[in-house]
Amino acid sequence: MQLTPPRPDTPEVRSIANRSESAIHTDGLSKRYGTTLALDGLNLTVGKGEVYGYLGPNGSGKTTTIRLLLGLHRASSGRAELFGLDAWSDPVRAHERVAYVAGEPFLWPSLTSAETFEFLARLHHGTDVAYRDVLVERFKLDTRKKIRALSKGNRQKVQLIAALATRAELLLLDEPTSGLDPLMEVAFRDCVKEAKGRGQTVFLSSHILSEVEALCDRVGILRDGKLVDEGTLAELRHLAVQTVEVTFAGDAPELPALAGVHVQSAGPNALRFEVSGGVGPLIAALAEHPVTTLTSRELSLEEIFLHHYEGSDGHVGG
Amino acid sequence: MSAASGTVAAPSAPASSTGGMGLAAPRALARRALRDARVRTISFAYLFAILAYIQPVGYRDAYPTPSSRLAFAHGFADNKAIRLFYGVPHDLLTVSGYTAWRVGGTLAIFASVFGLLAAVRALRTEEDAGRMELVLASSVGRGTAYLSALAAIAAGVLILGLAEFAGLVLSGLPAGGSANLAAATASIVPVFVGVGALTSQLASTRRMALELGGAAVGLFLALRVIADTSANAGRLRWATPLGWAEEVRPFTGAHPIVLLLPAAATVLLLAVAARIAAGRDIGTGVLPSRESAKPRLGLLSSPTAQALRSERTSLIVWLSGIGAFAYITGALAKSTSTAGISKSLQHEVSKLGTGSIVTPAGYLAFVFIFFVLAVSLFMCAQLGAARHEEADERLETLLSLPVSRSRWLGGRLALAVAGAAAISLAAGLLTWAGAESGGVSISLVGMLGAGANCLPVAVMFLGIAALAYAIVPRASTGLSYGLVTVAFLWDLFGSLLNVPHWLVQATPFAHVGLVPAQPFRADAALLMLAIALASAIAATWIFQRRDLTGP
Repeated sequence: MQLTPPRPDTPEVRSIANRSESAIHTDGLSKRYGTTLALDGLNLTVGKGEVYGYLGPNGSGKTTTIRLLLGLHRASSGRAELFGLDAWSDPVRAHERVAYVAGEPFLWPSLTSAETFEFLARLHHGTDVAYRDVLVERFKLDTRKKIRALSKGNRQKVQLIAALATRAELLLLDEPTSGLDPLMEVAFRDCVKEAKGRGQTVFLSSHILSEVEALCDRVGILRDGKLVDEGTLAELRHLAVQTVEVTFAGDAPELPALAGVHVQSAGPNALRFEVSGGVGPLIAALAEHPVTTLTSRELSLEEIFLHHYEGSDGHVGG
Repeated sequence: MSAASGTVAAPSAPASSTGGMGLAAPRALARRALRDARVRTISFAYLFAILAYIQPVGYRDAYPTPSSRLAFAHGFADNKAIRLFYGVPHDLLTVSGYTAWRVGGTLAIFASVFGLLAAVRALRTEEDAGRMELVLASSVGRGTAYLSALAAIAAGVLILGLAEFAGLVLSGLPAGGSANLAAATASIVPVFVGVGALTSQLASTRRMALELGGAAVGLFLALRVIADTSANAGRLRWATPLGWAEEVRPFTGAHPIVLLLPAAATVLLLAVAARIAAGRDIGTGVLPSRESAKPRLGLLSSPTAQALRSERTSLIVWLSGIGAFAYITGALAKSTSTAGISKSLQHEVSKLGTGSIVTPAGYLAFVFIFFVLAVSLFMCAQLGAARHEEADERLETLLSLPVSRSRWLGGRLALAVAGAAAISLAAGLLTWAGAESGGVSISLVGMLGAGANCLPVAVMFLGIAALAYAIVPRASTGLSYGLVTVAFLWDLFGSLLNVPHWLVQATPFAHVGLVPAQPFRADAALLMLAIALASAIAATWIFQRRDLTGP
């Protein structure tokens, strides 16, 4: 299932060429907090203009990765680069090309949103004020309100608008939609698509699969500090199994065991099959039974995700 | 009806079991609150015990004979400058009388600060941080939460009282009088717990609650100062809780009945606070907090400018508080005179570690050691604010922008130094103005020099605090306050003890040339500034190499 295993055979030359073209590059990046290994040898390259989804459950090391990329925490070993600039030793130059949205909005409670925008814009040169006004409109934010009077979702909007309005080359987004309502999530997705259209690179850390599925060119899956899988959505699906749900006129029949097919009960007269490889043998086996409906679909990212975090208990034939 | 009560009888069994839980929840809450307060409680308990022990022992040692005590008492009986800080002495000829005055007067101020901090921590900080909401969402009612918090504070008060009592008894004072003195000091804490409880209901943020409470402490202290120093104003002592503690007169004809006053005030304040707490929305205060405002875009151009913007209220509080105090001390300078005080007494007085205080200049120089302390504490507060920015993770927001760590920390340190310079010069200027208004002619340049003379020590403490911040961020605020307090108390009391001279001199406060009475000590000042600079550079270097650290 390992799509892109660590590439020990990659020639050094190619790695250097990659680095100059990449927005994010990490090399054996590890972080240890006391006895906990939060990030374990991360090798990651995100090309310029790419929208990269960074998926993992809580505590898998997503935020640690971003803190290392921003030079807020220091790597225990390995290195991280943004646009070829070392994330730890050269953070200020790197940050001129980066905008960051934290998972939790940590802002100044006594400032209003408008004052916060002004402050952040003064610190990050190149804020597009006209675009910011568009975003304020789109996210329906009352900029006269003080941060302390805003709900978490609204504070999240302040962060998002400030980051998007910089039009930075790289957007580092750490679970940016936490606290946003569904309408605002749609607005957020539009913004990310616009950013991609302008050629901005987006690094989107998330545990919301539909979001990543809708936005990202490439996805990395993080588990216990290790990148366990990486690829385009198409590549991930290629290896994935199909789900076939069948309902019968009467009780669900007993079917003979088929290679590459895993059966689950889905109700008194329905069965769910997870099939890796072709579905021919299953169709043949079903032919002699009173099938009323048959639906087949590709595995959602959700299921791919579950597959990785449920462990290898044979559901999809590992 | 009886049938109905019969049907509800069945679930009464689980109900009674939650009745058992009814004690478990407040106990858990109180234990949690005690744990939260443990560092502060233990630090204050040490302070109380050590001060209570050192004073009587030191006095006995420094003034062993009745004649030396008589001379000492004569010098102090009418010295208003001394009363300013320690209150009115009722009997300076005995160890116990001296102790009641010196220990009681000093610890009263610490007791009021402790009460305020404890109350605001338990009753507003918890709510400000949103944790109270979590507690109240469980089966715990508001009353239970309130009482649990108070129970934890009461345990803290008991610990402080016992610490002071233990210190006094160990120094050889009788148990009865020691108990009276400890009770008098401890009685101040609950009153200011009441004050803190009330400001915690009025204000919607921790900071505002502390500022309001701090203003109340300042007001009551000012009342005591006026009562103790002005002629015919003695009655005013009954208007301040700090005065009540004096009126208990432990050791010197005790009136424990006076303790009813703080008890009544405490009950009243806590009841009013409880009444307000029961009726308001969680997360709000009685005083309106503006939710919207027109944008004011000043002081947003850099992290340092924004830090000044968020610190300006506290800067104004510091400036006006110290300024007012400076003016009062200046105005009192007239009451000091050398008439009738012998050289030998001046020598006796100098054993107190206070230098010559019997001339206006000497007295003002003596007062300025307290301003040196205040400006040093201001530095701790500034570094604390910087640490707070990091603990609240706003620093993460800043440093993810093109802002370097050295720029941020350097800006905060520069802001602290600038604020300290403003406060120091204001202290000098207003002391001069006060002295002039009292009819004492003194050099303005000299007093501004006395103000500026506060800076080297304070800047050195800022450097050391910055170093602590870089190395142990979570403990840094407590460490820097602790260091300044210990260094100062050592300067005041170390000389009373039978310890080698170099050990007495082991505090930076001992090396402040008391301008204008003594010459400015450029060598010491330069050394302190050099230490400050080295510490600040080391702090920046280390800070650039560590992880940002959350709460």
